[in-house]
Amino acid sequence: MTELGQPPGRFREIARLKLADGRVQEALDSSTARLMRHRLDAWADLAGVEALRERAHEARMRVIDDLDRHVADFSSALVARGGKPYVARTAEEACAYVVDVCRRTGATLAAKSKSMVSEEIGLNDALESAGVRPVETDLGEYILQLAGEHPVHIVAPAIEKTAEDVAELLGQVEGREVPADLESLTRAARRQLREAFVTAEVGITGANFGVCETGSVCLVTNEGNARLVSSLPRVHVAVMGMERLVGTLADLAVCLKLLARSSTGQKLSTYTTLVTGPRRAGEPDGPEELHVVILDNGRSDLVGGRYKEMLACIRCGACLNVCPVYRKTGGAAYGPVYSGPMGAVLAPLLAGLEQAPALPHASSLCGACTDACPVKIPLHELLLELRADLVESGVASRWERLAMTLWSLAWSRPFGYRISTSLARLGRPLAGLVGPGRAWGAGRELPPLARRRYRDL
Amino acid sequence: MPPTVQLFATCLGDLVFPDAVVDAGLLLREAGFEVEFPPAQVCCGQPAFNAGHRRAARRVARTFVRAFSREAPVVTPSGSCATMAARFLPELVGSEPHDVWELSAFLDAQRFDVPPRNAGRRLAYHDSCHMLRELEISAQPRRLLERSGAELVPLPRPDLCCGFGGTFSVRQPEVSAAMADDKLAGAAEADALVTADPGCLMHLRGRAERSGSPVRVVHLATVLARGFS
Repeated sequence: MTELGQPPGRFREIARLKLADGRVQEALDSSTARLMRHRLDAWADLAGVEALRERAHEARMRVIDDLDRHVADFSSALVARGGKPYVARTAEEACAYVVDVCRRTGATLAAKSKSMVSEEIGLNDALESAGVRPVETDLGEYILQLAGEHPVHIVAPAIEKTAEDVAELLGQVEGREVPADLESLTRAARRQLREAFVTAEVGITGANFGVCETGSVCLVTNEGNARLVSSLPRVHVAVMGMERLVGTLADLAVCLKLLARSSTGQKLSTYTTLVTGPRRAGEPDGPEELHVVILDNGRSDLVGGRYKEMLACIRCGACLNVCPVYRKTGGAAYGPVYSGPMGAVLAPLLAGLEQAPALPHASSLCGACTDACPVKIPLHELLLELRADLVESGVASRWERLAMTLWSLAWSRPFGYRISTSLARLGRPLAGLVGPGRAWGAGRELPPLARRRYRDL
Repeated sequence: MPPTVQLFATCLGDLVFPDAVVDAGLLLREAGFEVEFPPAQVCCGQPAFNAGHRRAARRVARTFVRAFSREAPVVTPSGSCATMAARFLPELVGSEPHDVWELSAFLDAQRFDVPPRNAGRRLAYHDSCHMLRELEISAQPRRLLERSGAELVPLPRPDLCCGFGGTFSVRQPEVSAAMADDKLAGAAEADALVTADPGCLMHLRGRAERSGSPVRVVHLATVLARGFS
């Protein structure tokens, strides 16, 4: 749970650091703009994109509106193929299960492909405490692991790092200088990761989708690392959010058409893998065991409620790339796991509003996220709803509630409006000294109140 | 008798930018309308609504329902207040919707022949977010500016919010100001940055003045009614 929390004040604190870092600002600006452009181009080339978004939304909501049944269907299909489903109610249960699998396998090294859910449950820490060394094999995640940092973008985890940063980190492992060109960097990373692929006893992946009718786990990568992680080690553990299910392969196709296009602008990512059960008799490769950890961690509480549409998210990152706030702050401000608009909605929902009270307000409500969402989640409306919940549930400060109440009482009648705004004019010289006026005045001139109101002209 | 419109000044218009409201009135009269200012109007409740304070918002929003009649269109020189009044307010207070128009959308729909007051001017137009995405008004203000003789200077990222966002501007003042800086920098080539929203105007102008940016930020109603000078 703690992985998703974000104490009040932390967003602003990290945002300030990022704003002051010119390299980060440049990286965020160019990368998010590039990803956005690629998505828009890919959508423009896709006939009937609006209808497809609608279909994807419906396919996802069919699952979410009947989540228990779909989890059961997926689980039995998986069992029929020889896989082992495990429904984890909490992060702790999920970690304990994976650690237990590693222990029974006698694993000391686990190769991991990118998984935000594993970040959500703090899996790497749990593995390390149990004497299992996790090695991230997604290039971006690997770089962050070397740097001791968390992902700052759900699709491009190291989006704030420059080639020079990467060269330095890889060079430290090599014990020699690595040139900062793409080929040298890739070569060094490949050399370093190859060992993990070959020697790991357990491979841990996320899951982009689980398919109920076949019990398949769908993995989407551009580096092919998930394919190695899920096929070379003796045991494969996929960690999947409970809501990442689609009913049928046909529904999967609809979602896949949108996923890569919305993430990177590709029609499909380089590798799209369907893992359907462990190795069967007579097959030359694949793991002996396949475990799928189906993580609840607060998700089932959202079913049937006002926020259920958030569960439709396919983690494409499109909302991050268009968000004018994310573009300035980067991901860390939102917390160590989910970021941007989807994170600002999801983290408080999973962790509890009181654990992440600043996130619903970490948005100008411009609505660009909602327009960009391939599965049509009304992200900015959900943020607004969360703000109302902050007030209703008493998480918003007493001062804020008092100020709004007094203001609204004064402005509930034209007479009160006149009196209060005349007083405000008198108090104008002090406005920059306290509260919101001070926050405004730190970076902007306070607007001069006109000598006469329009109504008095 | 010319047809009547009701002018909604909005709180920011009334208190901070009365000139822009005067200009909106001038344009509406120029377009052939009788302009009425319902004196009981206060505010649409948007500041509280967007901050999640629904009860407070409802209390203030009711003033709108009491002040305005449903017999004539309500026109306002504010994209976000038009959005609030048209989209969210009816559900918030449980009332029948009014016929609410943002000024430029109204003038454009009336095929208002704006006089060429901005001939030779190079103007950049900033889309306010709610006006752009909730009301989908983006072509109308640009058309009016072009009809007024201005050459439109495109902004590098017209999709980006300027960073105002109501209470966002004081909860995250540094991010908010940085967003304004990007918007202002994008308008460096223009004679002025024009917006149809008093919130964006207050924020962008306040930031330009503080940061020493040479960009002049003006309300759409003002450049259309008087020409940019």
